[in-house]
Amino acid sequence: MSRRLTSSLAACVWIPLFPLRCEEARHEGLSSYPTALLAPDTTRKLWQVSSLARHAGVKPGMTVSQAIGLCSTLRLIEPDPVHYDEQFTALLSALGEVSPVVEPSELGLVYVGVDGLEGICGSPQKIIQAIHQTVRPSDRSTVRLGWGVGKFTAWVAASRAKPSEAIVVPGGEEQKFLASQPIAVLPLDVDIHRRLRQLGIRTLGALVAIPEAAVTAQFGDVGKRLWQLAAGRIAEPVEGRVTPEPIVAALTFFTPVGERELLVHALEQLIARALRHPRRIGWRVHAMRLRADLECGDVGGDRSPTNRSWMVNVLLKDPTADGDRIAAPLKVRLEQSPPTGAVERLVLEFTAFAPGTTELQLFARDAQAAARAGQQRALRHAAREVRMRVKRANLYHVIEVQPWSRLPERRYALIDYEP
Amino acid sequence: MVAPARAPLRTDRLRAVNEPRAVTVELNESGRMSVGRPDGQTVGEVEAILESWRIDDEWWRQPIARAYMEVMLEGGKRMVLFQDLITGQWFAQMP
Repeated sequence: MSRRLTSSLAACVWIPLFPLRCEEARHEGLSSYPTALLAPDTTRKLWQVSSLARHAGVKPGMTVSQAIGLCSTLRLIEPDPVHYDEQFTALLSALGEVSPVVEPSELGLVYVGVDGLEGICGSPQKIIQAIHQTVRPSDRSTVRLGWGVGKFTAWVAASRAKPSEAIVVPGGEEQKFLASQPIAVLPLDVDIHRRLRQLGIRTLGALVAIPEAAVTAQFGDVGKRLWQLAAGRIAEPVEGRVTPEPIVAALTFFTPVGERELLVHALEQLIARALRHPRRIGWRVHAMRLRADLECGDVGGDRSPTNRSWMVNVLLKDPTADGDRIAAPLKVRLEQSPPTGAVERLVLEFTAFAPGTTELQLFARDAQAAARAGQQRALRHAAREVRMRVKRANLYHVIEVQPWSRLPERRYALIDYEP
Repeated sequence: MVAPARAPLRTDRLRAVNEPRAVTVELNESGRMSVGRPDGQTVGEVEAILESWRIDDEWWRQPIARAYMEVMLEGGKRMVLFQDLITGQWFAQMP
């Protein structure tokens, strides 16, 4: 097993509204309009809102009708979680070039372990510069960076930094830095936040001024943890993810197989089996190897049996956990340079992986979500096909506007479907 | 490759669903309700009124008052009609 990588010194990379930024990056000019992203679930409420829309009074959690009522020029965007995951994975991979200790927290929020990087990159400013360069150009003006001992200090520093800037909290100055920060930076629920404000506690310094025991008595274990975070007593290290060992799936044929269709079928079975492996959960396949033991044959007429084999290596440009995408390049290789004899044993190995994210677990990791993503892809493809054939395809989405309305025409609306 | 996502949805391209369609409702010689289209075509005669209800809404701005009825036309076709109680006009609509 690999050693678990940790780093007490942390850099926090925070790109607020990451999914919205992904949309702005691929739709030129979108940032100049008030924009809102719909929630990926079925509630059809707003998930993320651009600053222009926010100025018009639109807030996350609003229904479409409420938002349109406040801002008639609002542009609504259907979410594309798989794309956001892929973009986030690309960010994680790029950060992995700077440090081997990378811990994703949520979409757009990553901790980078920076212990020992001084020897490679130089001063903290140079390391921060190197991290900044890993962010895609369109996000460099919005990314906020924080530096400190432990993830909490780094996060608070990032949350207080201006866009495209960094705040470095030197070692030993955590308490001084944290003391002036508002209590909102603590991971607390609405109720505790309200109670703290009612007690007149507005900053972490004010919280730390109260004895730890008193806070624990009032708020229990949660309060104790909050007090310790505020006092800089907890410095959680960044924990890098351990890359899983290769995953191997093999199939031995009762009789050697030479038919291409049978081999393709066997390959699909192996891919499905390897994807189901528990070690694969949370990871996308980046590199794989397909090999075959071929039927023993006579070589050179000397009647001595010789073991023969066949092998292909594939590196996926875009790491994926989708069976079809994994199978496609292998099928091409099977077609172009097939085994030179009948196959006795077929072995598939996933040899390298790219990290997924927490959201990936929700959207693309499990089979159901992968199927959903596949359906969406197929739908987009079909819609494009229809549009190409009939030039103007009248395809619409049905969205809930006021599903509770007593007036039937107010409940739903159609909106253009443009893949 | 990531497939390009859909273009942003513009709210000015929202289309209403299930908008009321104007119809004419008249009493014919035999005293039965007859439903027709605005262009004069007949939809059918009302055989029976199955259900009726009323909606009063938005009294605080532009009041809405509608008398709905689900009717069965001759031949068995079902239809939901309503009369706008403010203008007196008749409409057909899905329930």
